[in-house]
Amino acid sequence: MNSNMDKATLKAERKAEFKEWLDFQKKELVKNVNIVKQLVLRSIKVQYRNSVIGVFWTILNPLLNMLVMYLVFSSMFAGRGTTPVEQATYPLHLLCGNIVFGMMRNATVQSLPSIVQNRGLLTKNKMSYNVFPLSYSLSAVVNFGFSFIALLGVMLVVWIQGQAVFSLNIFLVFIGLPALFLFCYGLSLLLSAMYTFFRDINHFYNVFLTLWMYLTPIFYTINMFDGGGAAGAMMKTVIRLNPMYYYVEYFRDVVYRCSAHAAAIESMEAANEVVSASMIEAASLPGFGETATLYLIGLATLLIGATIFMGTKRKFIYNI
Amino acid sequence: MFKSHKKHIMKNSENVIEVENVSMDFYRLNEKVDNLKEFFVRLVKGKLERKTERVLENVSFELKKGESIGLIGHNGAGKSTLLKIISNIYEPTEGSVRTRGVIAPLLNLGAGFDYEATGKENVYLNGAILGYSKKELHKKYQKIVDFSELGDHMNTPLKNYSSGMVARLGFAIAIDVEPSILLVDEILSVGDENFRRKCSDKINELRAKGVSFVIVSHNMDQIRKLCQKALWIENSQVKGYGEVNQICDEYAAYCKEIKKQSDEAARKKALEEAALKEKAENK
Repeated sequence: MNSNMDKATLKAERKAEFKEWLDFQKKELVKNVNIVKQLVLRSIKVQYRNSVIGVFWTILNPLLNMLVMYLVFSSMFAGRGTTPVEQATYPLHLLCGNIVFGMMRNATVQSLPSIVQNRGLLTKNKMSYNVFPLSYSLSAVVNFGFSFIALLGVMLVVWIQGQAVFSLNIFLVFIGLPALFLFCYGLSLLLSAMYTFFRDINHFYNVFLTLWMYLTPIFYTINMFDGGGAAGAMMKTVIRLNPMYYYVEYFRDVVYRCSAHAAAIESMEAANEVVSASMIEAASLPGFGETATLYLIGLATLLIGATIFMGTKRKFIYNI
Repeated sequence: MFKSHKKHIMKNSENVIEVENVSMDFYRLNEKVDNLKEFFVRLVKGKLERKTERVLENVSFELKKGESIGLIGHNGAGKSTLLKIISNIYEPTEGSVRTRGVIAPLLNLGAGFDYEATGKENVYLNGAILGYSKKELHKKYQKIVDFSELGDHMNTPLKNYSSGMVARLGFAIAIDVEPSILLVDEILSVGDENFRRKCSDKINELRAKGVSFVIVSHNMDQIRKLCQKALWIENSQVKGYGEVNQICDEYAAYCKEIKKQSDEAARKKALEEAALKEKAENK
């Protein structure tokens, strides 16, 4: 009888304890959400405070970048391994590659020194370290949104020329974007944790980013290496090992490539022309497998980044 | 898993802070190795030793609701480290700290500000860090502006503020979050005479409301006036803990002794130097 009562009170106590713990966690979560909101706002505002044209710079910047790349690379692009539709939509090819790779670069370059840079806040207040990499990753998503407006603008021009088609596929961007965010956030956690211990990481990372950019098909396509012999085959393997390749290709597929190719195939079939296999391949939308790949890469990166971040965060305070 | 929330289950329900046998070690690599190159060079050479430095040794004290305690001691004794342990920024190496209620750390006013952002933006960011929602901050905002007397300056970036203005804003934010424990680190000497009076009025008002204070200060009069208890830390160890006047007297006597010794040493040195000089001149 007595032990039964003990059990009951113990159970009630546990329940109360759990409830208290849950309330505490809820409060912490709300607090961190508020902080992240303020930090995202801050990082976006700071970006534009000193520029005359403000937010338009984010829209203009990828456009100018595209223009430069177009002037340099468009003549080379007409070579082997590209379909006529791809050649006609080359500005979109560049822009998609740039803004997807740009989001990753934006998030990681800002997150890398973020914990050290905010030491003023961290050593004077009790707060979670990960709000900084998280807020920079989120503000990279916001910037991606601004750049996407530029992309839609260019697409409108290409559409008027009759080379691109607006289709509902474009909404699949919302499926791919969270995966890209997970990848960026994971990498940001990893880099910001490493930077607190090793301050020369940012030099290495800058060099690495340049290499990474060249190994991502931003101004070329992977098919251009076909017929390049052993070296070409090796390059293709290397590019396939690059996670950004999958993100860039996914966004191209859903934004313009598949719909443009599908429309081209339709008109060719109407004119009884022979449709090449590469055209049909380019017209097929990314399916479950491709999408799952994006999430797998994103989650794996986040898992690695978060594990290292959590494992070392107790030592941050001594190093910042 | 349930550890984090248990921090506010107190041994004595009247207490708001219980610090029990707290020791703190700082780990540092033998020399400042903060880059990969150096790290690998030393790793290869086998010169990567870790050094632990004890900055606090077995510190205990408790504070009841409405009470205030003054932390005294020489620079580098570990007072600020103790404040950071109480505010949960550092985790103690040994021992435990339990606190109840909202803690507002007033450590080095303005250190957490973003100088590129405006005063208004900083209010919202700092408020969020202290745990307030945007809605709550909307309500508090006018009060903060009024207290800090910054008015129109709230929309200019902080980099254009004077140091006094920054301190005023920092004080206004921290004071307006209505904490149950306020940690104060050497800040009551900021601003002009007028603002200082306002600060001490506000502190008295909060004391009347039952807010507990932990104050680090080198101003003994201030400590005697504001606190009931004092904790004297010297070379990472507790040298005295108890009623404020008694501890302050002991500390004052100790300071006098130290000063006497150092004066004596200085005089001796001066004499020796003079003797040496004389010798050299005679040669």
